Amino acid sequence: MLDYLLALIFGFCFGWLLQKAGLTKYSKIVNVFRFTDLAVLKFMMSALVVGMIGLYGLQALGVITLMKITPTYVVGNLVGGLIFGVGMALAGF
Amino acid sequence: MNAIIRALRKEEWSPIWSGAGLGIVAVLIVALSHQAIGASGSFENIGGLILKAIAPDLVEKNLYFKFVMPPGITWQVILLVGAFFGAFAASKLSGTFKLDPVPDPQWKRVFGPSRWKRWVAAFVGGIILEYGAGIAGGCTSGLAIAGGIALAPAAFIFIAGMFVSGIVTAMILYGSKF
Repeated sequence: MLDYLLALIFGFCFGWLLQKAGLTKYSKIVNVFRFTDLAVLKFMMSALVVGMIGLYGLQALGVITLMKITPTYVVGNLVGGLIFGVGMALAGF
Repeated sequence: MNAIIRALRKEEWSPIWSGAGLGIVAVLIVALSHQAIGASGSFENIGGLILKAIAPDLVEKNLYFKFVMPPGITWQVILLVGAFFGAFAASKLSGTFKLDPVPDPQWKRVFGPSRWKRWVAAFVGGIILEYGAGIAGGCTSGLAIAGGIALAPAAFIFIAGMFVSGIVTAMILYGSKF
């Protein structure tokens, strides 16, 4: 039950931040590929940097003991990414 | 207090600070829930559930549904429900919430006001995007962010692929307007 409550709270923050950053808009998503609005890139890089420091910091402190690292399948990740980008630029999600 | 209310009602937050907030959320999800942030997987969980109701045999025999994305109301689906309410609350508070079949002025300018054109593009784009995410093992949140913060090479290969094809697709769609 607590698990699902946390999911709702985290999800709420997730949706809130995406909306406030404007990433729910078609133009914000497609314009990163046209280099006219880099909000998506700024958002992603900022999240990555903060997340990396936070995750590995908490691991160093012993708070996070089990870390699942997404396995790498070079072809799958690349081909999937290439297909994904087409959909992203078309739909603007 | 007033400053907080003003901030909550502000229409647009800096993407850098919002992104930093998402980074914190992504870390808390790992630390407190032992899960990973994600969005595209939830649609597959729900899709599997619907397909299971229509054609249970197809889901039974499908390796993807069996091992990668089990149908059902998973933790990620609840996360997505939360995201819906979060985005709804954010737009309501900034007073920008409205129901509009073609909400984006840029789309209207470039591709015209036809709602069917926009809806078909969104739907077809969504299918392509979900298919790609299925092959790659995640989307912008589930692989690029969740994997990226754990320094998984998969995430950075995915981001590279996504930008290459995104830029090419935008070039083709926009033509001389690129």
